[in-house]
Amino acid sequence: MLEYRAYEQIERYLNGNMAPEEQASFEALLHNDARLNRQVLEHRQLLQTLQKYGQRQLLKNKLNRLHADMQSETVPATRETATAGWRVFINQHAQTMAVAASVSLLSIFGTLWSVQQLKAPVQQQTVRYVELRREVERLKKAQTEIINGINDASKPATPRSATFSGTGFAISADGYLVTNSHVIEGGDSIYIENKSGLKYKVNEIYRDQIHDLSILKIEDPSFSGFGKLPYTFKTAESDLGEHVYTLGYPREDIVFGEGSLSSTSGFEGDTTSYQISIPLNPGNSGGPLFDDKGNLIGVISGKQAGQEGAAFAIKSAYLMQMVEELPETTSLAPMSLPKNNTLAGNPRPQQLKKLKDYVFVVKVYN
Amino acid sequence: MKKRLYETDEAIVEGIRNDEDAALAQLYRLYFPVISYFILSNSGTDDEAKDIYQEAVIVFYEKIKAGRLELSCQIKTYLYSVCRRLWLKRLAEKGRFASKLDDSENFVSVEEDIPYHEEQEHQFNVMTEALEQVGEPCRSLLEDFYIRLQNMQDITDKFGYVNTDTAKNQKYKCLQRLKKLFFSTYKPEV
Repeated sequence: MLEYRAYEQIERYLNGNMAPEEQASFEALLHNDARLNRQVLEHRQLLQTLQKYGQRQLLKNKLNRLHADMQSETVPATRETATAGWRVFINQHAQTMAVAASVSLLSIFGTLWSVQQLKAPVQQQTVRYVELRREVERLKKAQTEIINGINDASKPATPRSATFSGTGFAISADGYLVTNSHVIEGGDSIYIENKSGLKYKVNEIYRDQIHDLSILKIEDPSFSGFGKLPYTFKTAESDLGEHVYTLGYPREDIVFGEGSLSSTSGFEGDTTSYQISIPLNPGNSGGPLFDDKGNLIGVISGKQAGQEGAAFAIKSAYLMQMVEELPETTSLAPMSLPKNNTLAGNPRPQQLKKLKDYVFVVKVYN
Repeated sequence: MKKRLYETDEAIVEGIRNDEDAALAQLYRLYFPVISYFILSNSGTDDEAKDIYQEAVIVFYEKIKAGRLELSCQIKTYLYSVCRRLWLKRLAEKGRFASKLDDSENFVSVEEDIPYHEEQEHQFNVMTEALEQVGEPCRSLLEDFYIRLQNMQDITDKFGYVNTDTAKNQKYKCLQRLKKLFFSTYKPEV
């Protein structure tokens, strides 16, 4: 019975249920009584082990249950753990993967972009063909319109300047001219004007879209004929390296341009035109191309963007072909083309003096 | 199917620390295949794999619970290391000395954790034996009171004692016997 009491006391002491005074006296007792002290230690160890043992049993049961659960769902579980493992992996490495992905995307698009940049000038050289129609004072006009609109809306309209301009030349004494189709594209009234101030209204009477050529006819009642044309048309192909020149209106005044025939084929191997080394500007389109003897060998049509000295002219053979087709397709009488060349043998300035009256600026209004 | 709640090692440790069963369950499922593969490829059986793995999980779990965990590597590596160590010992006990283990993972030294665990295992084995020898109803009485922490009144009702004093007296006798049995085989290192 004494032991039983002692047990009660020890347990209360270990659980901390003693009153402070009682605890103090019990501790004093422990200090003096080695046997009691040993009993307390033993008791504590026993109870601690017992408790831990209990917890361990619980944990083991839990793990066994987990294991049983896992085993029972083996087949679906393997798939589940596989996909879930994959998801956990994704979640754990999402940041790293995002960085890696953006780096690779960046480098891919960077590479593509830089390759594009390197290729761009090459493309420009081979691909871009520029038609030399001149957009006359477009900007200036737009600006003055704005200013006029602000300052004085009621002011009477000033004479309109042409929207586009190009060059054209006479092909017969009775008022037929040739220019490029693209020059007069989209226009509703066309006028021609030459260096000596003659100005006529013309109509387009025939168009060859494939060769970019148009035939114009002067409709003006005041027109009485050009007189005898000084040049003739050459139907045979001209030779490489021949000296050639042109007259045209890249600006308000007539401009002479000289060079040589640098290739017998044109843009991207086009056999219907020549390549010529004459510096050309917008407005030169439709101008005549003459050789040294004053034969017309082509019609200026365009140049290649981004490449120096590569301009193109449509071969005169195709112009001739078109002129011949004319009576068949339209009701017009056959044209009387010039037969005598009065330019041959003359020095260049003399030739130009005679020529300039037959080269016109073509003004297109719309 | 259970959703994966714990994405990182830290989350699992935190979950276990907070007594979340799901964390333990996830941990258990996550690494069993690794250990199972290791044990099976080193002349073990499925049951042995389960035993060893559970022991390792217990070591890990108790380390977390005791607040002694300083994880310097992945949980997987830690568990693998413990299993590896335990399995070496098991092989030695079976009289089969593995000259070379077929390692499937990296491992770290867990030497400081193992002796403590073994000491505990020893204590629990002695306790199991002692409890068995005490016999019923003593065993249930002691377990109810000291492990399941039921109060004396409930125990009195459950075991059909006249009053709590009788129950207390009975409990005292049982504890006395358990104590004798326990300390007769277990010598504390005090």
